[in-house]
Amino acid sequence: MRPSLTYTEAELVQGLKARDEKVFSYLYDHYSPALYGVALKVVNDENIAVDALQEIFLKIWRSAERYDPDKGRLFTWMLNIARNTAIDTLRSRAHKLDQKMQELSNGTLQWEKLSVQQSVDHLGLSKVLDQLNKEQRVIIDLAYYRGCTQDEIAKLLDIPLGTVKTRMRNAIIQLRNLLKQV
Amino acid sequence: MDVQRYISSGIIESYVVGLLPAQEAREVEQAISLYPEVKAAVDACRQDMERYVQLHAITPPKGIRKRLMEVIENEDSEEGETLLPEELREPVMEEEAPPAGFKLSIPQVRIWQYALVLAVVLLIISLVMNVRYADRHKTLKQQHEELISTHNQAITDHQSLQSKLQHTERELLLLKDPAFKWTRLSGNSKHAGQFASIGWNPQSKEVYLLAQSLPEPAADQQYQLWAMVNGKPVDAGVFEMGPQHTTLQKMKDLAAAQVFFITLEKKGGNASPTPDQLFVSGKVNG
Repeated sequence: MRPSLTYTEAELVQGLKARDEKVFSYLYDHYSPALYGVALKVVNDENIAVDALQEIFLKIWRSAERYDPDKGRLFTWMLNIARNTAIDTLRSRAHKLDQKMQELSNGTLQWEKLSVQQSVDHLGLSKVLDQLNKEQRVIIDLAYYRGCTQDEIAKLLDIPLGTVKTRMRNAIIQLRNLLKQV
Repeated sequence: MDVQRYISSGIIESYVVGLLPAQEAREVEQAISLYPEVKAAVDACRQDMERYVQLHAITPPKGIRKRLMEVIENEDSEEGETLLPEELREPVMEEEAPPAGFKLSIPQVRIWQYALVLAVVLLIISLVMNVRYADRHKTLKQQHEELISTHNQAITDHQSLQSKLQHTERELLLLKDPAFKWTRLSGNSKHAGQFASIGWNPQSKEVYLLAQSLPEPAADQQYQLWAMVNGKPVDAGVFEMGPQHTTLQKMKDLAAAQVFFITLEKKGGNASPTPDQLFVSGKVNG
């Protein structure tokens, strides 16, 4: 058995498309924490997140032939599957929309809900998150973990629609700077 | 296109976090393929996001890996399929509905049992109907026979009436005929109240008798009509009483007659009248 670390990205892609179970277990071992983290952050419920994670890996396994290396790295593709699956799960359970509509009609946002399940097994996380301006973190999380549209973000954060993109850019630039320090 | 300005607009970051609507996202993807700087900016942003995501990484519960591997190993079997979340299963073809018509879910043996019961029930119904119709047939036949008999009786009655009518018409003709001379015969002393009438046509010599009021004779006796012609009695025949007495009875023809009289004689009549058996008599008018 080959040591797992010697897999290149191309080999992983090829193995996945060839339905190599060893490649699959390698992918699971290396990426399931990140994907599970995404699912958990989106659905905010451990049981639902577990179901979503299984669905995510089966989609990765079954739709490997649809992966296009020109459009991004394998991990990026996997993360997209994870995010979309988790958001779909949430929407299909009608949690997300109800909650969002309630928040929209209240005109207030419960910030605490957006930063659940902070990982403790990564050094520097709390440092980064602490230093990331609260408002900047929220704009990233609303978009990435909640699938909010620009309209919704503008309303939730009470900012003009035209400034959502630049706010997003600023948030990520700050994030980048903080990540460099870790 | 001002690539730098495009990059600094925030559209790259918005694209990476999935904020853009589909149309705008396609435009970014086009820009990525056209401008290496855009591609580099997108890749960098993705790395940032991926590192951010990694900060939230959590090791999932232990059992999931094993379960997933089971699903994948048995993927092509039905058992593997049932392990999958429902939305990931191969679409199952709906079991084909049985061809049109109703579905026979009753076992074959029971069908025969039902058929037998049905047959017996039909047989019983048939028998009951047969009996009822046989009864009815009998009744109708009786009625039919009665009607035929009544009809025949009516025909007989009709014929009888017809003949009576003809007879009566004939009598009427005789009575109206001016050629007939009518003589009334009546009884004296012990035969008082007894009558008979004689119609005589001197031209045709016909004689008719109407025995209006004569007592019924004994079985071995018969009344006999006589005519006195020039002082000598001439036989004009015997006649019946009974139902005949109300109708005209034709007697023997007579060429001449001055007096008519009736005597009671032995059955079949006598050659000459018995004088003490004279019942009624009458003289023929001029």
